[in-house]
Amino acid sequence: MKLSSAKVSKESKGASPSHGGHHKNSLHLKHRSHHSILPLPPVDALEQWSSVTVDMYNSNNNNHNQQQQPQTSHTSTSRSSDYSAGGDGEPSGTGNKWASRLLKECARAISDKDSSKIHHLLWMLNELASPYGDCDQKLASYFLQALFCKATESGQRCFKTLTSVAEKSHSFDSARKLILKFQEVSPWTTFGHVAANGAILEALDGEPKLHIIDISNTLCTQWPTLLEALATRNDDTPHLKLTVVVTANIVRSVMKEISQRMEKFARLMGVPFEFNVISGLNHIGELTKEALGVLEDEAVAVNCIGALRRVDVGERAALIQMFRSLGPKVVTVVEEEADFSSTRHDFVKCFEECLRFYTLYFEMLDECFTATSNEKLMLERECSRSIVRVLACDNDQDKEGECERRERGSQWSERLKEVFSPVRFSDDVADDVKALLKRYKAGWALAQAHQNETGLYLTWKEEAVVWVSAWKP
Amino acid sequence: MKGGFEVVYSTPDIIETHHEPIWEFPYVGLPPTILNSESNELFELVSDLMPKKTAPRSIFDGRDDELRNQSNNVDSEQGLSSMTLLMECAAAVSINNLGEAHRMLLELTQMASAHSLSCAERVIAYFAMAMSSRVINSWLGLCSPLIDHKMVHAAFQAFNNVSPFIKFAHFTSNQAIFEAFHRRHRVHIVDLDVMQGLQWPALFHILATRAEGPPLVTMTGLGSSMEILVETGKQLSNFAKRLRISFEFHPIAKKFGEIDITAIRLRRGETLAVHWLQHSLYDATGPDRNTLRHIEQLAPTIVTLVEQDVSINGGSFSDRFVNSLHYYSAIFDSLGAYLPADDPNRHCIEHSLLYREINNVLAVRGPARSGDEKFKQWRSELARNRYLQMVPMSSNSMAQAQLILNMFSPDYGYSLVRDDGTLGLGWKDTCLFTASAWTTTLNGSRLYEN
Repeated sequence: MKLSSAKVSKESKGASPSHGGHHKNSLHLKHRSHHSILPLPPVDALEQWSSVTVDMYNSNNNNHNQQQQPQTSHTSTSRSSDYSAGGDGEPSGTGNKWASRLLKECARAISDKDSSKIHHLLWMLNELASPYGDCDQKLASYFLQALFCKATESGQRCFKTLTSVAEKSHSFDSARKLILKFQEVSPWTTFGHVAANGAILEALDGEPKLHIIDISNTLCTQWPTLLEALATRNDDTPHLKLTVVVTANIVRSVMKEISQRMEKFARLMGVPFEFNVISGLNHIGELTKEALGVLEDEAVAVNCIGALRRVDVGERAALIQMFRSLGPKVVTVVEEEADFSSTRHDFVKCFEECLRFYTLYFEMLDECFTATSNEKLMLERECSRSIVRVLACDNDQDKEGECERRERGSQWSERLKEVFSPVRFSDDVADDVKALLKRYKAGWALAQAHQNETGLYLTWKEEAVVWVSAWKP
Repeated sequence: MKGGFEVVYSTPDIIETHHEPIWEFPYVGLPPTILNSESNELFELVSDLMPKKTAPRSIFDGRDDELRNQSNNVDSEQGLSSMTLLMECAAAVSINNLGEAHRMLLELTQMASAHSLSCAERVIAYFAMAMSSRVINSWLGLCSPLIDHKMVHAAFQAFNNVSPFIKFAHFTSNQAIFEAFHRRHRVHIVDLDVMQGLQWPALFHILATRAEGPPLVTMTGLGSSMEILVETGKQLSNFAKRLRISFEFHPIAKKFGEIDITAIRLRRGETLAVHWLQHSLYDATGPDRNTLRHIEQLAPTIVTLVEQDVSINGGSFSDRFVNSLHYYSAIFDSLGAYLPADDPNRHCIEHSLLYREINNVLAVRGPARSGDEKFKQWRSELARNRYLQMVPMSSNSMAQAQLILNMFSPDYGYSLVRDDGTLGLGWKDTCLFTASAWTTTLNGSRLYEN
């Protein structure tokens, strides 16, 4: 289905670009006749609006600029010289958080169906955005992409295209390189691994036959340390069966290579090992006890890394019940700390939460990687796909491909508490995590959950970003 | 059309009469067949450019070797398919098939990276970005550029530091101006786009050390931001003061083609030099006809012009696309030969200077979008003009250019060319900048003086 048949729906006045309306305009514009698009604002309004937004942008910058800039805003509202319109109103690249302001304004304008404002903001964002610039420029670029998809109702198509391109250019080498580099410069993923491994080892201590069900896209980077720990246990080395559940096509294609390596590593460690991959699922919600091949005499651990959020919101309870039916000794859950779930029917709230989270994430990436890192670029592009997914794809069409509706630790806890009870992480595990964080640049810390909450949080600049928890029946 | 904003449309009435709709060729109410013939030309061009199965044919007739040689770690199959996709995007954009273009650009922008080890891939990444920008502003119906002058100036300085092109422009022009100022005691320089005035301290220096002593210097600097002009004026004044040169600076925050010529305060007896270093970042001077007329009216003793050797004025999107692709590939190659892939200066230049030009060329320029009335090539136009005649670049200018090149290892591919009185600097086979000088003929005379 070609995008040319995607419609930009605009009513004759104050159109909402996001939902169906009476007058549909094909994106395949043949010519701009004045009656087919919105009522066009007169030139004065355009400049005035631009100067207002640029003023706002600049006044933001003036506070943070290290260059000498006069305090009076240089977007003159009195346009004595025609030329000053383009010149003085220039945005400075060293400004702080201009993207956040413009993007939020735009989201509100979309929600208010203020079409002229929408157009002006999209124009500004389009001019200022760049996926290769600073943090603001990147955020502007990727969120603009999502807003544009939303406005042209092409979100689903866009997501599919982005995903399929990513899959095509994906290889075992590139995936491995990416994950390893990320783990080298940031504890974002290793935090969860260390804590979860600690809880799993403690829960399965003394068991001779272990079955770990790993629902994640971590390419098994979590398991070598666990295998090593099993190999160096005081008692007899247990038999480990590892069942990996993958849904992302990207990961599917490389699992063969991964399984060979895992088997080799286990042999090296002297751990009796069996490796299975389950990949026939469209999404995790389809997982069943039968498919997992759990045997009576096995001690089961279920390990979910960024997995629960990929399940359709309505199916999450059922999945957790299914876990319970496996009779596991422990269930470990790692999720990113953001809420795109409870806000999913409120575009502006969801947008703002999305922006908050990804701003944090992008800033973190910027600090951990070098400026021209291709790995960082790949991670940012992965985010851009999620952003399109969350903001520009209709809620009810989550059947195809994966959901990305994150929930906060406290929300997941509510769900898990229905069926499981929380397991406290031991002091040993907390020490392991702290030791891990010491290996990275400053800014990372471990935070314990508050009274009524469970689990541990990884914090970046004092913001909670990743949550890990352990549960038992 | 107001100042820095080149608005494509304003009120509905104006659309009908003055502005062509966002087609790449003037709308003359012709039936769709005209559309098709334009697109057929482009598709033929694209299929000619597509690599054949037997021998991967060179794009740009054998001048792409540097493109392919730069593909160090890029899978050459992927490289060729990105290029193919790029050309297909351009084809879609040229016939305004925005939906198809958007779809392909989604793919292409994900395939290419501006941080790649391959120069060709960087070029593709930026061209894809520019076209994406264009798709969006086409859809919005707004193609008014927002320029971050501070970023641009910083990138321009970085470019000046690592590449000889800007210095070439400065030093050859300064030499021509210096020669024209021989034995003159009052001089006036009009710089049509002075930016930060990087060029002028060097000229002040050679003027200060003249046998007959320095002249009294007045400079009129044009630019888009009064704030920046005033700052530039201050810097230049300070510099002149240190060299004990009497110096006056007049800022004009307008485009040269749009001013009233009396805004330039010429005094009787002043020897006038008009200087213009052209770039594609934004429209610095307004309609070319007016600019030329103003120059004629000023009847300067010397006009120094440095042009980019890329044909991006007028004509169709596809012409601009193919020409600029070749042009910027050469510049990217020259940077890639000199700087490592992760060099922050290189990134600054590519991202904040070259990309801004590419974006301007593809997403903003073109007669149908910005109402540009630009000459194809200034020096051809000047050659035809009866009030002006060429002053061949002297051997001293050539020597200046050679001196600059000597700062760069001779192993690198810069090529200096002297051709018919002009001086050109390029990368390997591609001439990128050409400097020329002109003077008022006896037919011309200054039409006014203060």
